[in-house]
Amino acid sequence: MSRDTTFDGLADGEPALAASRDLVMDEDAFCGFYTRHARPLWAFLVHVTGDRQLADDLLQETFYRFLRAAAPYENEAHRRHSLFRIAANLARDAHRRSAVRRFITFARPAPESLAGADPGPAAERAADLARALKSLKPRERAMLWLAYAEGASHHEIAAALGLRPSSLKALLFRARRKLASLLAGASDRGVS
Amino acid sequence: MNESACPFESDVLLAALQSRPLADLDPALRAHIRLCPACSGLATVTAAFDAARQQALSTTILPPASLVWRRARLRARHEDAQAAGRPITAVQVLAFATAMGLLGACFGATSATFQRVLRRAVSFFASSDLGAWLSSAAAHCPEPSLLLWAFLALALLLPAAILLALTAD
Repeated sequence: MSRDTTFDGLADGEPALAASRDLVMDEDAFCGFYTRHARPLWAFLVHVTGDRQLADDLLQETFYRFLRAAAPYENEAHRRHSLFRIAANLARDAHRRSAVRRFITFARPAPESLAGADPGPAAERAADLARALKSLKPRERAMLWLAYAEGASHHEIAAALGLRPSSLKALLFRARRKLASLLAGASDRGVS
Repeated sequence: MNESACPFESDVLLAALQSRPLADLDPALRAHIRLCPACSGLATVTAAFDAARQQALSTTILPPASLVWRRARLRARHEDAQAAGRPITAVQVLAFATAMGLLGACFGATSATFQRVLRRAVSFFASSDLGAWLSSAAAHCPEPSLLLWAFLALALLLPAAILLALTAD
């Protein structure tokens, strides 16, 4: 779904937007939910995929699939975990499709830039992290972001990524150690 | 390699998730972080993620919720309409295929020309030696193994090309 989609599909004079039978929330509930979770979700997607435009598309897709899911949600936390699980699956699928496409067409991955227009030390640290994350697998990026940016528990991360909780601790430790060494290397290069 | 967590990791992680800088931490914990490789790495990683998250949250411009909602509703309606039409389409395709089959059977049964051509084709294939034909074709090819590689490449690339063409971007 592109941001350029127009809305000529809704006719003039259509009744006020009511809850669709096929969407799990009404508009007001959705707007509140979106306001609370869209930004953290986008930050997750952009750091796992390394592509801002793809993150924009996957954000829309994630909320759409969440709205269409027939699963009963117990509380806000459950909805949030489900949202991140959907996003993690979409990011993984997008990575696989692009890997197949690159293999078939012998294309090189496009240079990915997470740099926004905002300069400064915070942006530099974010850029260092983005460069370091590129050296990790998408699953490692997702694990690390959920653990250290979102504060998710091991059980929640395992549920989101389809991993066994027993194996997550070791995977997370190795990914963190790898990232720490990459960040230390980036810091040394910056100092030198 | 000892992959068990340092007992102080949870304290370091909690401080990081609360966005507390190192300078605000307990002096004993700060001293420990300097000495412990695991906690030092954890502090580095969490600081980087905290900075990245804050930067992303503060600079991101996202579409408004109402826009996302309307798009979702439009798409849901469109998909539901497509799903409702699928059984009708399947019946139409089946009816068309049946009609074409019946038409072909009627034509075959009534056309003398078609039956004569069919008999000649059957007798040709019955009498020809497929192995000899293949050998003759291979003899004309300067490098017979190239023929094999060409068939293999076609068998691999054609499904991949179809998959790429059908996969939505």
